[in-house]
Amino acid sequence: MRQDRIGFLFITPAVFAVVVFYLVPVLMTAVIAFTDMSTATGIRGGDYVLTESSLRKLDDASLPADTVAQLAEGGFVVDADGLAGIEAQFGAALTTRIATALLDEKFDNRREIERALNDLRAPELRITRDRKAAAALFQRSVLNTRHDTPESLRAALSVADIPLADHDQIVQAAYTGWSWTTRNFELLVSLPSTLRYALNTLMYVSVTLVVFNIGLGLFLAISTFYLPERTSATFRAIWFMPRILPPVLYVLMWKWMMLDSGFIASVLAPLGVARINWMMETEVHAWVAVILINGVVGASFGMIIFASAIKAIPQTMLMAAEVDGASRWQQVRFIILPQMRWPILFVTAYQTLSLLASFEYILLSTGGGPGSATEVWAMAAFRTALNNYGGNLQYGMGATFALVLVLIGTALSLIYLRFFNFQALLSKPRIER
Amino acid sequence: MQPHHRSYWPIVAALTALSAPLVIMYVYQLIDTVTTTAPGSIIPNGITLQHWQFLSQPITRDGPTIWALAGNTLIFACSTAVVVTGVSLTAAYALSRLAMPGRGLFLGGLIVLHAFPTLTLIVAVFLILQYMGLYDTLTGVILVKVAFELPFGIWIMKGFYDSVPWEIEMAGVTDGASRFTVWRLLVLPQVQPGLAALLIFSFLSGWSEFILPLVLAPANAPQVLATYLAAIIADDRVADFSLFKAVSIFYALPVLAIYVIFQKKLMNIYGGGSKG
Repeated sequence: MRQDRIGFLFITPAVFAVVVFYLVPVLMTAVIAFTDMSTATGIRGGDYVLTESSLRKLDDASLPADTVAQLAEGGFVVDADGLAGIEAQFGAALTTRIATALLDEKFDNRREIERALNDLRAPELRITRDRKAAAALFQRSVLNTRHDTPESLRAALSVADIPLADHDQIVQAAYTGWSWTTRNFELLVSLPSTLRYALNTLMYVSVTLVVFNIGLGLFLAISTFYLPERTSATFRAIWFMPRILPPVLYVLMWKWMMLDSGFIASVLAPLGVARINWMMETEVHAWVAVILINGVVGASFGMIIFASAIKAIPQTMLMAAEVDGASRWQQVRFIILPQMRWPILFVTAYQTLSLLASFEYILLSTGGGPGSATEVWAMAAFRTALNNYGGNLQYGMGATFALVLVLIGTALSLIYLRFFNFQALLSKPRIER
Repeated sequence: MQPHHRSYWPIVAALTALSAPLVIMYVYQLIDTVTTTAPGSIIPNGITLQHWQFLSQPITRDGPTIWALAGNTLIFACSTAVVVTGVSLTAAYALSRLAMPGRGLFLGGLIVLHAFPTLTLIVAVFLILQYMGLYDTLTGVILVKVAFELPFGIWIMKGFYDSVPWEIEMAGVTDGASRFTVWRLLVLPQVQPGLAALLIFSFLSGWSEFILPLVLAPANAPQVLATYLAAIIADDRVADFSLFKAVSIFYALPVLAIYVIFQKKLMNIYGGGSKG
């Protein structure tokens, strides 16, 4: 087999996964952002069904009162279905009698059909209650019947003698599915919470990144570099754990530390400090908790990247500095830090992207609270579309939130691509067949 | 680098102070699972195994047993690991070594995806699984998890393939073997360390995954240990940190075991830039 054939065979599963779970979702996010899709509308397009509540809306929306009444009451038609009901309930004699006298007759309301039935003078219908039951069998209301297509609903409206002029408005009101709209974007711009989420995200990403990923990460990497092997391995192991522990367990440890029955409160209680929930007492507490929890994991990442970059610095450079009497601080300042420029850029680019989209630790710790003090953008998207307490999940609005992140993410990933020496990665295959 | 003539105690002191909260959390995470502590105190006053009763009986009545959840989690993590590794193994070889049209495009796409914040796609992915009829199934979550891990897996494997000497393949091809045979018999053994590292990494990643099962397979009862543990912690009827800690240690056992055995290897692969 030629190598390009094997190549395609080898890469097809990966391409398939990328198309289904990256390309299609990106496009879908963009499309759904322009719909009002939600739990109420369903995700597959809708049916057409007139309910009491859509009728009330139509009444408010200036549909002629006669039409509304007509829809509410529904018409009566003496048809085969109704006759079959009569036969089952009252027997064949009455069925024949009604069929000969009234087949295909239409009545606008209950009173008229009951009068017509009464006029038959049938012994089975002598009692009013029976007459009402028989009439009910011929009621052909358009209410509460599902239609797959607008045509089917229109046909039903015609049967019920609803004026043709009103059909359009009724069909529109009866539609249960989602429809196209730009309202999500208008909401996004006008809601004050949008700004709040944006500022929260900015704060969360920048402080976590600068103070912890880079600041603490660099400190850990450099300080452990100067320690004897075993001591440094111990500290690195301590700081590596947060990255590898399952998030649920990691956040549990912080909760034990910070809740009102937890470690901090218990240590401070004998000193006369009131027991408070150190994670949620005020917005400041919540922010400190969120940034610490994310920051320690971030520092872990920074430490690993920076430590391996420091290891790559030629030992001779440091030895020479040592011999020349450079202080440790001077070594860090003039030899190590200049070499950290690319690792710092890498961590910044990579971590900005992953922090932008991540809300796992926030969800598990403060849950975005108190109020929405620590709710970040990605979490707002998640909550709106997938996990709100109201129960009506707003897929369209959630996708609008997500779309903003997808756009930022795509732009930043493309910039990230520039960091790589692409030609070197693409070195030409050396075997021709 | 060991500058003997200088004291490193200030550094050790600073690091110790910084690390103290973490160490306290780790230590109590372990001892609280086998001790009793009076309310409001931090000093244990007795030894007990009662926090581990969940091993033999469900924590909440009618709740799932811990073993069923552990089984699900194991299936989830193992399938993720095997599929991610398998697909990465072939795709990365094609990207690293095979001349084919569009290779540059694939590689550029790979780097972009490697950094792309996948979780932003969760709304659309949720709907796609619904359309595919895979919503609320373990299979669906596995597929999504695999797809989200793939860019990283292919990236890592490509690095390993890139460092295999061309001479090995040249020799195979000159002897008349097809590129497929050369890959299977000569190249694969060369990248075995990478294969092992990726298997371990994606297993851990699957074992720890929380958001995807939470969103894509909520069901009535949690499906995997991560969502189960989060649910009992969030449940106000049970408020027993020692129990949570015992369950979470049980949950983290494979992670801790792997950490102890493969510490060096793991630090290297996490340094390659993982999500999160």
